[in-house]
Amino acid sequence: MTFRKIRETYLRFSFLRKGGLKSYVTTGGFDGVFLTLLIIILITGLVMMFSASYVYSWYNSPGNDPYFIFFKQLKFAIIGIVLMFIVSYIRFDVVEDFSVVLLILSIFMLVYVLINPYVIPGKEDFKRWFSVPFIGTVQPSEIAKVALIIYLAWSLSKRRLQVEKDNDRIPTVVHAFIICLVCGLVYLENHLSAVIIIFAIGIVMMFFGGTNARVFALGAAFLVIAVFVALKTGVLKDYAGQRIDVWQKLLHNEQLTAQEEQRDGWQILQSLYAIGSGGMFGMGFGNSKQKHLYLPEPQNDFIFAIVCEELGYIRAIIIMLLFLLLVLRGFYIALHHKNRFAQLLVLGICFQLGLEAGLNIAVVTGTVPNTGIALPFFSSGGSALLTLLVEMGMVLSVSRTMDKKPKKVKEEVEAVNGNS
Amino acid sequence: MAKKTTSQRLAQRVILIGVIMALGFAVVAINLARVMLVHGNEYKTKAEQNQLRDSDIKPTRGIIYDSNGVILAQSAAAWKIYINAGAIPDNEEVREFVAKELSGVLEDVDKQTIREKTDGSKSPYVVIKSQVEYEEKEKVVAALDNTFDYVAEYERDDGSTVKNTKTYKLRTAVGIDDDVIRYYPYGSLASCVIGFAGADGVGKSGVESEYNDELTGVTGRLITAKNARSDIMTNEYETVYKAENGAGVVLTIDSTIQRYLEDGLNGVYETSGGVGAYGIVMNVKTGAVLAMANVPSFDLNNPYGLTEDQKKEVELAEDDEEKASLRSSFYYKNWRNFTVSDTYEPGSVFKIVTTSAGLESGTIDEDYGYTCTGAITVADQTIKCNNHAGHGYQKLRKGLMNSCNPFFISIGQKLGKETFFRYFEAFGFTERTGVDLPAEYMPTPDKTYHSLENMSFVDLSSSAFGQTFQVTPLQMITAISTIANGGNLVTPYVVDRLIDENGNTVMQTQPSIRRQVISAETSALVTSMMEDVVTSGTGKNAYVAGYHVCGKTGTSQKLSKGQGYYVASFGCFAPSYDPEIAALILVDEPKGQINGGQICTPVAAKLFEETLTYLNIEPQYTEEERAKLDTPALNYVGTRVSDARSQLLDENYNVKVVGNGDIVTSQVPAYGTIIPKRGLIVLYTSSDAERLTTTVPDFSDYSVYDVRDVAESVGLNVTIAANSTLSNSELVCYSQSLPAGAEVEQGTTIVLNFKSNSGVTDVG
Repeated sequence: MTFRKIRETYLRFSFLRKGGLKSYVTTGGFDGVFLTLLIIILITGLVMMFSASYVYSWYNSPGNDPYFIFFKQLKFAIIGIVLMFIVSYIRFDVVEDFSVVLLILSIFMLVYVLINPYVIPGKEDFKRWFSVPFIGTVQPSEIAKVALIIYLAWSLSKRRLQVEKDNDRIPTVVHAFIICLVCGLVYLENHLSAVIIIFAIGIVMMFFGGTNARVFALGAAFLVIAVFVALKTGVLKDYAGQRIDVWQKLLHNEQLTAQEEQRDGWQILQSLYAIGSGGMFGMGFGNSKQKHLYLPEPQNDFIFAIVCEELGYIRAIIIMLLFLLLVLRGFYIALHHKNRFAQLLVLGICFQLGLEAGLNIAVVTGTVPNTGIALPFFSSGGSALLTLLVEMGMVLSVSRTMDKKPKKVKEEVEAVNGNS
Repeated sequence: MAKKTTSQRLAQRVILIGVIMALGFAVVAINLARVMLVHGNEYKTKAEQNQLRDSDIKPTRGIIYDSNGVILAQSAAAWKIYINAGAIPDNEEVREFVAKELSGVLEDVDKQTIREKTDGSKSPYVVIKSQVEYEEKEKVVAALDNTFDYVAEYERDDGSTVKNTKTYKLRTAVGIDDDVIRYYPYGSLASCVIGFAGADGVGKSGVESEYNDELTGVTGRLITAKNARSDIMTNEYETVYKAENGAGVVLTIDSTIQRYLEDGLNGVYETSGGVGAYGIVMNVKTGAVLAMANVPSFDLNNPYGLTEDQKKEVELAEDDEEKASLRSSFYYKNWRNFTVSDTYEPGSVFKIVTTSAGLESGTIDEDYGYTCTGAITVADQTIKCNNHAGHGYQKLRKGLMNSCNPFFISIGQKLGKETFFRYFEAFGFTERTGVDLPAEYMPTPDKTYHSLENMSFVDLSSSAFGQTFQVTPLQMITAISTIANGGNLVTPYVVDRLIDENGNTVMQTQPSIRRQVISAETSALVTSMMEDVVTSGTGKNAYVAGYHVCGKTGTSQKLSKGQGYYVASFGCFAPSYDPEIAALILVDEPKGQINGGQICTPVAAKLFEETLTYLNIEPQYTEEERAKLDTPALNYVGTRVSDARSQLLDENYNVKVVGNGDIVTSQVPAYGTIIPKRGLIVLYTSSDAERLTTTVPDFSDYSVYDVRDVAESVGLNVTIAANSTLSNSELVCYSQSLPAGAEVEQGTTIVLNFKSNSGVTDVG
């Protein structure tokens, strides 16, 4: 099957030589609602990122530049938007053709990062990044997320009948294996939050792809046992036990110990101080006090705390609703498309977006234990924003062919080349 | 499960996931509401506790003025340099850098001291130097931007290290805080009254301590939002509760009179060889203390300085512990205000109280007489009189003038202990005077004085002439003032008023009369007797022409110390016709001349002359005195030599003419300068004529006649400062206004002080 895929890719490039650009480019209008929601979130995110970052930037950038972090992010946002529009013109089946290559490439990167990681002083245990000349650091788990979505979308749509058949379990096993492989590699990076997200994306993709519900029941049972064992044997205890203790205490409004307040509980506690200070209407834009070095790296994972502090409950809820609406609009786009791959691609991307946003806000508000997840479009981080906007471009690309009977690309290619 | 189409199944599953996600968002939204709306205020409060720094605004300590508005103590802004020890990384090079940089700009702070204070400390506030003045502080400010590059090492789990070059700013570790420094422009002047404030800004002695609360003011608060590195965020979050600056304190002390008193005491301290000289000048009507001094005193700007003798004694101490305890005992000794906190046996000065009690109670009258045989036996004890041969029969006035002990023993015995004690109590000797100074001695019955119950006949007899009990100098001068002011016992005070920053009076001390002790008639009678004491009694060396000084000498044995130790004293007031000021001069353990009439009276005479002149109290001369008064020289410059000469000779002056000119071009003494009767005037007739000079001889122990002869022979004019009612034969010169050996022009006037050494003793 892989061989056939490679052949198809070759065919496409041979078509390029004949100058027919049309088979790459999609036409039609994209979904305005989706783009509008996206732009609102993106701009809000950038503005809030500036507000949250300038103090930290002043203290930590060379030359005490309060705009340092913001301008870096703005640069990536502009490049990202351009990329997003370019991607939105690329036919989604082009992406489909690269699905396997992408997956293999991303697995290579996941292995490479374990061998030659870029170590940040003070964070020697984390092998999450590797450096690339001229680009900077790359986080392969981010790429793996997209690659997995694309691969699963392709595979699930390709083997749709087998997947949906109760007696043919082979594709399901293959998918589960690939998900576990990626998760395993990411786990070795010491990046639990990414493992959780990738695992959730994989499972939900399989679910969307029509995999029998009984498989999930079985998986859920297995997961419960695994978690139980992890808690009992104390495997989890060393790594996240403290954080879980802190989380439970804060959820029940209990007093933390002095040590907890200073160490594991510091960040989440400062986050809650920030959020709690916001009240119904917030302290006003730019008026956060907690960003004054109390909340560590307020422009990153905990940016939503600053959002709550400055904008207040009502506006925070509006921002959460915007995220939810964006995700649901993505689902709407998917359900109104006729191509199975396109549907699954959009669903996967939007689920990832919703999951990350939801989990981030849940962490920041102390709803779930503390784990490092960035808030899409808000948290600083150029490559993450770039990846995200490229994904958004894919959704826009799909939205152009909503409610249309898609042409069979392969047939078209073969017709042009006269091959069979 | 019923069969569904693929797209139906997908839609179902998408909706399911969508609903789950929406529910997830709802849960988060609810939790967010819990954090922001339900517990919002708790978190906000905690956040503010984190963010807000509540710092004190120190009020400026009040200024201390003398009665004329001269500043005696003032605070000025200074700075405190501290290190945030927790902000220095655990790196030897960086620690060395911080210590080196700071010791480089701070005076008197070496690197080692800084290292010792900061190494191993995590305290964010290690004070390196306080009360740093502006220029030194500016040096520190300039050094704050200095940086140091060092290699920070991180250890990885596998044991390998990661190296990272970092730049360390001195600013990260070093901070500057406001501080205050207290200046005393006149150093040791009135140090026992003013007192000093420690480095912590708290008064340690004197008015600084007694009025500490008023001087301190009210501390304000500055609430600012600060970030996690304790830098101020912005001014927006600032709340200021203004500090109320301390009140200014206006003393009753007049620094001019204070200086007169201190000069006098310093002189007598030097010449008498005593261990201390103490004095108080008081307004007799109000109880306001015009001057109060202890000699030796201490420098308020350097309260921890020791005298040379004390330093030597400390050096001799065996170990450090002993040195430290010796040092601290010297500190307290130097700071101690003897006149308020210590007691002495008043001796004969107290006889004026016995006299007042006798007269006021009606036990005796002015005509009371007693025959002194030179000693008196009281219950097996023989008490000698200063005149071993005996004064013979004397009346009260003469008894007081002679300071006859047996005479006053007889009065005491006549009074009986009840009456004696009633007046002893009424004059305030059993209670504190209530002066507004710290550590006033609390009289203790049967320790510092004889209680009525336990007073024996001998106690009564000896108390009558001022022995076997003790009082503070302040109690004594208050009693003297009582006699002087018509019989009212006043409360002495040193603070006239408190003023705010704009000079408005916020508190005015009202002179308070505690009670009337004796009648105005008794007061006047005792006053007239005391004037006779000064005119021709034991106090005759305190006589000042025209100022009508009244006084009583005292020379008490320090019974507690055994034989041979005395306190010489002189209590006095002037002028007799309307007493204004009282003074008490004390010399502790004088050597050689030990009598108050010998060593304290000249001090009082000079003090009264200077002080009463300064206070513009017109002298009232007798005819006799007026005749003896010296007059200012007239102007002869520009007149013809022959005219000048004949005029001067007519007035019995001696004249020397230098030069061949016809017109006087200059004269010595100059126009307006006091020239004694029969004095010398040198007239110069040309400006290039050589000036006539002479060397000042040493006049000490000369008689008045000798002085005149010697002065005439060397071409000096002399002014005799002495009790003019005394015969010249008993006067002896004891000091001169120009030092012996000085080269001066002929015709210069020299003031010579004379005193009498006969009939001025209380102790034989």
